[in-house]
Amino acid sequence: MSQLLKSINLLWLIPALWMLGIACHKQDFLNKKPSTTLVVPTTLSDFQALMDNVKVFGLVPTLGEASADNYFVSYPAWLILPTREHNAYIWAKDIYGGQGEQQDWNVPYQQVYYANVVLEGIKKMKLAPDSVAQWKAIEGAALFCRAFAFYNLAQLFAPIYDSTTASTDLGIPIRTSSLVDTLSARSSVQVTYDQILNDLHNAEAFLPTDLPGKVLNRPTEVTAQALLARVYLSMRNYTKARLCADSVLQVYSTLMDYSDLAVTTPVPINMLNPETLYQASFLGGPNTVAYFSSISANYPTTWIDTGLIKSYDSNDLRRITFYRSRPSDTTSLRFGYTGMAYPFGGLAVDELFLIRAEGAAKAGDALAAINDINILLRSRWKPGTFTDYTVASVGNVLELVRTERRKELAFRGLRWTDLRRLNKEGANITLTRVLVDSAQNTKRYTLAPNNLNYTLPIPPDVISLNGAIQQNPRNQ
Amino acid sequence: MRPLKLTVFLLLPFLIKSRPAYCQPAIAITLTEKNAPLQKVLDDIHEKTGYTYAGFGDWPSVSRPVSFSVTNASIDEVLSLCFRDQPLIYEVNTVDRTISIRVRPKEDREVHGWVFDENREPMARVSIHVVGEGDAMSGDNGEFKVWVHYAGVHLVFSMVGYERKEVALPEPGRDLQVELASHVGTLEVVTVHTGYQDQRKLNTTGSFDVVDNDLLNRHVAPNILDHIDGVTSGVLFNKNIASGVNQSTISVRGRSTIFGNPNPLIILDNFPYNGDINNINPADVENITVLKDAAAAAIWGAFAGNGVIVITTKKAKAGQGQRISFTTSQTGSQKVNLYYPQVLSSSDYIDIEQYLFRQGWYDGYFTSPLYPALTPAVEIFGQRSRGMITADDSARQINALKKIDTRKDVDRYFYRRGLNSRYSLSFSGGNEKDQYYLSAGYDRNLTFLTHDDYDRVTLLGNNSYTLVPKKLELSTNLIFAGSTTYLNNSGNYGINYPYAKLADAQRNPLPVAYGLRLPYVDTAGGGKLLDWHYRPLDELRNANNVVHLNDYRINLGLRYCIRKGLEARAYYQYSKTDSNFVQYFSLKTYRARNLINSFAQDSAGIFNFPVPRGGILNENLSAISGNNVRLLLSYNDSLFRNGWLSLMTGSEVRDIEGTGRVNWLYGYNPELGSSIPVDYLHSYPNYTNDQPMQLPYQDTRTGSAERYISYYANGSYLYRGRYMLSASVRRDESNLFGVNANQKGVPLWSVGGAWELSKEQFYRWSSMPFLRLRVTNGYNGNIDRNVSAYTTAVINGGLNPYNNINASIVNPANPSLRWERVQIFNAGIDFATKENRLSGTIEYFIKSGIDLIGESPLDPTTGFSTFTGNTANMINHGLDMTLQGNINIGSVRWNAVLLFSFARDRVTRYLAKQGTVRDYMSVGTINPLKGRPLYSIFALPWKGLSAQTGDPQGLFQGKMSTDYANILGSDILSNMIYKGAANPTLFGSWRNTFYRKQWELSFNVIYKFGYVFRRSSIFYYNVFIQASPGHPDYERRWQTAGDEKRTNVPSLVLSTDPNRDDFYRNSEALIERGDNVRLQDLQLGYTLGRPTHPNLPVQAIKFYLYANNIGILWKANHAGIDPDYVQTLSPPKTLAVGVKIDY
Repeated sequence: MSQLLKSINLLWLIPALWMLGIACHKQDFLNKKPSTTLVVPTTLSDFQALMDNVKVFGLVPTLGEASADNYFVSYPAWLILPTREHNAYIWAKDIYGGQGEQQDWNVPYQQVYYANVVLEGIKKMKLAPDSVAQWKAIEGAALFCRAFAFYNLAQLFAPIYDSTTASTDLGIPIRTSSLVDTLSARSSVQVTYDQILNDLHNAEAFLPTDLPGKVLNRPTEVTAQALLARVYLSMRNYTKARLCADSVLQVYSTLMDYSDLAVTTPVPINMLNPETLYQASFLGGPNTVAYFSSISANYPTTWIDTGLIKSYDSNDLRRITFYRSRPSDTTSLRFGYTGMAYPFGGLAVDELFLIRAEGAAKAGDALAAINDINILLRSRWKPGTFTDYTVASVGNVLELVRTERRKELAFRGLRWTDLRRLNKEGANITLTRVLVDSAQNTKRYTLAPNNLNYTLPIPPDVISLNGAIQQNPRNQ
Repeated sequence: MRPLKLTVFLLLPFLIKSRPAYCQPAIAITLTEKNAPLQKVLDDIHEKTGYTYAGFGDWPSVSRPVSFSVTNASIDEVLSLCFRDQPLIYEVNTVDRTISIRVRPKEDREVHGWVFDENREPMARVSIHVVGEGDAMSGDNGEFKVWVHYAGVHLVFSMVGYERKEVALPEPGRDLQVELASHVGTLEVVTVHTGYQDQRKLNTTGSFDVVDNDLLNRHVAPNILDHIDGVTSGVLFNKNIASGVNQSTISVRGRSTIFGNPNPLIILDNFPYNGDINNINPADVENITVLKDAAAAAIWGAFAGNGVIVITTKKAKAGQGQRISFTTSQTGSQKVNLYYPQVLSSSDYIDIEQYLFRQGWYDGYFTSPLYPALTPAVEIFGQRSRGMITADDSARQINALKKIDTRKDVDRYFYRRGLNSRYSLSFSGGNEKDQYYLSAGYDRNLTFLTHDDYDRVTLLGNNSYTLVPKKLELSTNLIFAGSTTYLNNSGNYGINYPYAKLADAQRNPLPVAYGLRLPYVDTAGGGKLLDWHYRPLDELRNANNVVHLNDYRINLGLRYCIRKGLEARAYYQYSKTDSNFVQYFSLKTYRARNLINSFAQDSAGIFNFPVPRGGILNENLSAISGNNVRLLLSYNDSLFRNGWLSLMTGSEVRDIEGTGRVNWLYGYNPELGSSIPVDYLHSYPNYTNDQPMQLPYQDTRTGSAERYISYYANGSYLYRGRYMLSASVRRDESNLFGVNANQKGVPLWSVGGAWELSKEQFYRWSSMPFLRLRVTNGYNGNIDRNVSAYTTAVINGGLNPYNNINASIVNPANPSLRWERVQIFNAGIDFATKENRLSGTIEYFIKSGIDLIGESPLDPTTGFSTFTGNTANMINHGLDMTLQGNINIGSVRWNAVLLFSFARDRVTRYLAKQGTVRDYMSVGTINPLKGRPLYSIFALPWKGLSAQTGDPQGLFQGKMSTDYANILGSDILSNMIYKGAANPTLFGSWRNTFYRKQWELSFNVIYKFGYVFRRSSIFYYNVFIQASPGHPDYERRWQTAGDEKRTNVPSLVLSTDPNRDDFYRNSEALIERGDNVRLQDLQLGYTLGRPTHPNLPVQAIKFYLYANNIGILWKANHAGIDPDYVQTLSPPKTLAVGVKIDY
């Protein structure tokens, strides 16, 4: 027992060793990650993983297409549309019914936030020489994605670019920091577009010169140029739009031949098709909750605008590739370049042919314009049925280009911007919706050219949570 | 099973201990003596028992008269009464039945000493009785001197309010130190367990509530925490839990966090319990201590903000001898009342469907290529409109449907009378050196849902060994719990119309409209697909979902007495919980058939099945293991004259690591354990809608780690037994925040003081012999594991379509993130009247939550629509009162306990302005408003129904309005009316127990006041989109002008604008008061014991009946709604029958 008592005296050592142990190992012990899936993004592969999140970046807003004239719905179908689609359909003054959390606003700004996290994170990194290529690609992708988000927001929530009023027209809030405790006010339209162009030109310098391959969520230099072409076109800077489109088509101009597509199969066009430069779908694609339900290929009561359908020649394969005939002589959408029920919102080669053609037509280069249209339509018609347009056979080249633009790029999220742009040039397109209820009462809604309602209202939660953001004026 | 065996093996040596044999013919003496000379009494005993007596010396002359009265007493008992006060010594020889008597030897000497109370406070005016010689009294400083004449006599110390104490004479020349224990009711002798130390309640300044073993055993339920429902003051069991708003089922003194963890910390013996509370066998629990204020809970630091509940398991007491105890109970429950939630009748529901049909609502559905399910009535209307059936047929079929009530079938096939059987056996015993407590329990619960069964086995072994007497003690504690839970009846059978028929007359399952349209699934695939029908009854019968849970806890404790008063202790706990949730979806289940069919590929009539035509196995395995080490030093000794110091300091390290694994197997064959590989990467078009889909892929591993390092110290100083000061400090550090380690900690502290007024010289209130005041103040902490100071991302499961890993940001950077702190001020009075007739405690508290984690809506332009940070403060103040009365009425003793709690919280700081009025009424989100309780009920002003349309009318910009979007979207908060708190602000219970001889009867009345709730009504939009079964208020709806005078239920209109319903839902018209009083339970017990029944083959046997959930006695609302169960089914009444046998 005395042995035991002696050894017990050594018990004094235990607390001493204990405290020593804690002091030595505390740092390691407490630095353990609370969860294996959690990361504090600091490495290039962390940032790459953020940029590879297609549930964030692969999405474009849909309210423009919902407000445009490519589709119509029946009265009962309109009745059960979700509030924002229901109201956007008739260009109501308020379209959100007081509901916040509007994805058309939130998702692009989430993309901006992710991009800012990546851009700030990369600046803090010490870069090893062998990772320069990777960081440039990631930084370029972040700049590209931020510009794409700003552009998409500007198409809905700011007036169309007009160089005479751009410095006073209200643009969108421009956020270039990831700090969530600072709020931003609206910039001018000029500042908005300067930012978009600036980001894209910077991106162009960083992005790899690879041609589009099978990883269609990672932009390359041509992707940035393709978006620049789209942006310049929306600004009605036709010269620069043409130049940018041309610089893409110089290096990459692959078009799918629609006669090669298995049009009878459920998915005629694969999401990895060679024509696509940057893959993105409408919000509500398979990666988020159903959002713009009324435009989905599966929606039973949304029909394609009759005039649009009739504009396709019977030999034009786009009629059966893009659309599906339904009972009672109506037509609904099929799966497009996303290979999914949700329409394509990314960038593809066909759009660049049309931009270059429009630029050429505007510059009076009818030959070049018609040449581009011919190249495009040859790949779209049944083999052997298309006769090339010639300068002689075409009366108004610009009109031809714009007609083909509408037919080729329907349901690509471009029509709303085109309507705003074309009306600005005096196209004088008035949109009309007709609703006939069960008692056969007809209600008619119209949207006059250049109406204030071409700029959509900012969601109510943004307005109430950020006093610095001014609501867009709306009619009615 | 191996660890179980190990446990048994380790415990075995203690089972073999022999029981001390004693054998004595029982003699029962009934005798009454009053001031009788000893000789006369001994003569009487001789007469009754035959015992003779003989004495030496002049014993009759020194003997004193005797008074006592006994019934059925033994000879030993009677003789000890006779000689208690005599200067005599006696011996009994039970063989020849003789009593020999001697006069004690003379020993004239003065005995000197002091008398203290348990706080080491000298006690004045204690009466000291020298047996057979006379009385004395202690002096002011507790000192006494008495003269004794005989050797071997005892001194008897007594004082009102204290336990009487008999003390032998000290050795000559030594002084005597006597400590008296107070006994002013339970209040005084109560021991509180903090998980770190056991303390006399009177030696603390904090707020504790102790539920002792008797009170715990009053309740019968498998979950230990249910046993303290309604019997602890300040602890509210929330029955009406709203989902998504971070409510806790148990709240200690209201609420002081918003988005942080709202649950009180549960301690099992020494360490936080991170297992399933259902794994603790209530029969093994000795008592429960609730720590309510800063001083009580400060020792738990950053985990104690919501209060602490300390569960202490049973342990053997030194020298108690072996005891065996067996308990069993059978609890039967009634069937659940399915008709309690009010829903639309089948007839009304079909009428609404008909109305919608006529409006063209379903037009798109009939031609939809998605074939969405349509209810049978809508299918009939469709057939009629397409001329497929006649008007007569249609009417006949519709009328038949209107007569069906699904609840009849649900009641028959999905519900049953529950039965919960419990068995528990325990052994305990030991000597002064080693003690043990062993128990085994078995529970079987057939819940009120058919096919949902539960089995539990628990084992517990507590041992303590003295390694070196008075120096070193080792204790071990092993706990095992294993349970099997079948979750085969979700109760939610996926039917959203009230006239589904689930079975035919032969009890064969019938298909219902679910997922896809019946006419489509009848023919889809032309016989080449698997049966695509959904039959709820088949789903129930073929469900195979089981959870196996094993929980082990191994505790080691070492106490080492370094020197008098200084003690070192070390504790270690290893815990492991394995949970194994396996779901097998055989081909008989819809889930498997539907997945296989959805992926079926039809190429020109040749069917290919990417999902193999077999069962699907879903395994979800998780394991949590914990290591806890604690070292502490404690010091207890007198300091200065009349002072007593207690100090404790130590540190501990906790590491809780979890792993998880989820995987799916396709084509699973349970016989062989085989599965079939599938192609996860390829996309297949959906059979019905062509949407490309990949096979659901589940094969994930997760890991988690919670690590803490804590340092703490607490101490108290008691002066003159009536003034007490206490203080504590604790620092916790963890790995949770992702901040640098040196910023991870949070220091928390408390101070307190107590004053036992009734011990003062000037105190003269004789009817209130005990009065104590105490006050504490300090900080506890709270933790939210979901926030981080850095921008944090998670790697998403699975790859993106380009086969790259990808990540999502879950948390924006928040450099200023801190732990939540809760400041608690507590002031209390403890009192007891003479003879403890009325005793109690009244406490006032203020809890201030500071730097609370607030999730506030953020301008989504930032990239986040909510921000989580330390943005909020709230305050919560209230009163806890416990009053206990004891009254004897004839032979009945009546014990009444009134618990009264008042707790009102208020958000005092909330940075973010909410968007609109609508936000404050939305369900499933927390939207605090500064100045109001965290859970508040707001409503919109109600201006009745429109006389023209039956539209509900509210106010917009001060005028009557039906512009619902603007009313709800308004950001002017004065447009809404605060109707009250959503949780009771005034609550408690009134428990009465009546004892008469062996009988015990008790009942508990629980009351809750001061809150409101929002009741349901008919919300048309939800019925239209089949999201709700509707509400019978529909019958009282506005139909023609004039109805607005008699009803508030809006008219039926085809509106796709949910705002009209939302306005009505959130209007004043649907607010009810929640106040209610219910008779919670009733208990009847009958105890047979050796003292009263000497022939009993066991020590004691207790029978009891316990009825629970008896019913509401009074409620404020007239809508027929039980405010505890607004949204859910109310629990059925239960009746338990039980017996407890002690050997």
